[in-house]
Amino acid sequence: MSEKFQYAIETEALGRSFQTYKKPEGLINSVKGLWNRETIEKVALQKTNLKIEPGKIIGLVGSNGAGKTTLLKLLSGLIAPTTGYAKVLGYEPFQRDPQFLRRISLLLGQKNQLWWDITPLDSYALLAKIYDLDEIKAAKRVQELAQILNCKHVLETQLRRLSLGERMKMEIIGSLLHEPDVLFLDEPTIGLDIVAQETIRHFLSAYVKNKGPTVILTSHYMDDIASLADRLLLISKGSLVYDGTVQGFVANAELIQTVTYKIVNQPEYKEEVKKADLNEFLVQLTQKGQIENIKIEETDFEDVIHSFLQKESRLL
Amino acid sequence: MSFTAFYKRNLGFYKLAIASNLEYRMNFFMDALLQPSITSIVEMVLWMAIFKGAQATTIGGFDQNSYLAYALWATFIARATVNWTYEFKMIEEIDQGSINGLLVRPMSYYEYYLSQLLGYKSITTGFSLLFPIGIILATGLPTQWDRFPAAMLLVFYYLFFVYSISFCIASLAFFFNKVQSLTVSKNLAMWLVTGELFPLDLMPDYLRKIFLMLPFSSGVYVPIGFLTGRIGWEFLWHGFASVTVGIIFFSALGAFLWQKGMRSYAGTGA
Repeated sequence: MSEKFQYAIETEALGRSFQTYKKPEGLINSVKGLWNRETIEKVALQKTNLKIEPGKIIGLVGSNGAGKTTLLKLLSGLIAPTTGYAKVLGYEPFQRDPQFLRRISLLLGQKNQLWWDITPLDSYALLAKIYDLDEIKAAKRVQELAQILNCKHVLETQLRRLSLGERMKMEIIGSLLHEPDVLFLDEPTIGLDIVAQETIRHFLSAYVKNKGPTVILTSHYMDDIASLADRLLLISKGSLVYDGTVQGFVANAELIQTVTYKIVNQPEYKEEVKKADLNEFLVQLTQKGQIENIKIEETDFEDVIHSFLQKESRLL
Repeated sequence: MSFTAFYKRNLGFYKLAIASNLEYRMNFFMDALLQPSITSIVEMVLWMAIFKGAQATTIGGFDQNSYLAYALWATFIARATVNWTYEFKMIEEIDQGSINGLLVRPMSYYEYYLSQLLGYKSITTGFSLLFPIGIILATGLPTQWDRFPAAMLLVFYYLFFVYSISFCIASLAFFFNKVQSLTVSKNLAMWLVTGELFPLDLMPDYLRKIFLMLPFSSGVYVPIGFLTGRIGWEFLWHGFASVTVGIIFFSALGAFLWQKGMRSYAGTGA
């Protein structure tokens, strides 16, 4: 990064609401809707205050419709805020200053951003022109990134002919070609098999260590978040409900542990016990008889987040 | 931003349109050659039938060959100066949110599709014009070849006007989502007011005067009328002037709609 900022990303009461209209069920209401529509306002993101230091990887987690993508779109300048403001690298994103756009990248895992009808190599050559890069250096960089991602063999095949995993690798190369200072990754591993997920996760981890961009990452795969994020933001119903480390979140969560045990001359039992009550449970267990076998399963981050999202979904 | 960067980037978009269109060979040949050829044959046969039915040697002061030359050129030039493909694409991108991937790039959406439109039209028009040129050379239908470069220059300039209208219509998708029917209605109206359907000199005098004042006639009637000797240089100069006014008007309207639209844009779908 050329300038030094205390915060790469800073928001103050940043919020966004949308106008939509209510469509009651039925054909009659469709006809009525020609002249009379009841508009409703939907708050996609409540007023949000956020400060993110340069070089940090932020995992943004929430259930569907929680406001994750809205936050990414606000920070990348795709949509205008309805309240507050955001500063990214000192720029107001929605102004869409070309200097700002040259320094960020938004990767949308569910959308193709490279050109469908041409080869990735042609797409990268065009991106080099769009970002005003040295074309020889850009071509060299493509080869390096493709080598690491093990996908050099598909660089000259039209994007439309590639598999989902290959396309995602191509998209990642495209999003990193101009070496952005801030990287917004929206579901970069969605729909990929475990091997492809692992490859991309390792690649991103190494890239971030090497180049040090600020990253905001959303993913439904908690392994992505657990292995990459320095900081976790949990978002629910448009509000930030947790801002801290992954470890901190797990430590504060009401953990449930599964205890499988067998007492001599009795069948095997499996019980779920709150972590806080575990000691007392074990004391009581020893009083029941001689324990032949016992296994305590630790709850991992995936389980904790899963239970959190389930709870939040029920509240929606 | 340097001019070199701007030029290189837009040349890239121009080439992208050419490469993308040549990727689908069958579609390219149909689009560039087969469709306009069939249309021009239909129109030429229609004019022959009209002359036969009228049992006249001239209509509106021009003979059959003059109308055949007009019909032949008009079909191809009208195809060169209409913008369905990119207008539909832009509307769909705004409606479905796939515009997001373009908005985060350091470029303007306006230039992105303008350069692509020019690239697409260059390759399709360059190729398709071989058909009328060949027919004219073979049959000797009236065409003043010394006027060809000036007429084509107006056609090329008119594309900027067409694009500025397309940009306005596409920007309406921010407010109404699906506005393709507006494109269809606009193009149907253009069919008449550009002079593609029949030469504007066959219209009632007051309509002819109005249509000639408007920039739309520079899409077909003025360049073809000029090329085939129906009208003189003064119409061509007027064409350039009215197209310039049209570009300024629709570009300003497009910029206004775009800014308003972006403020309300929700970016959904991506």
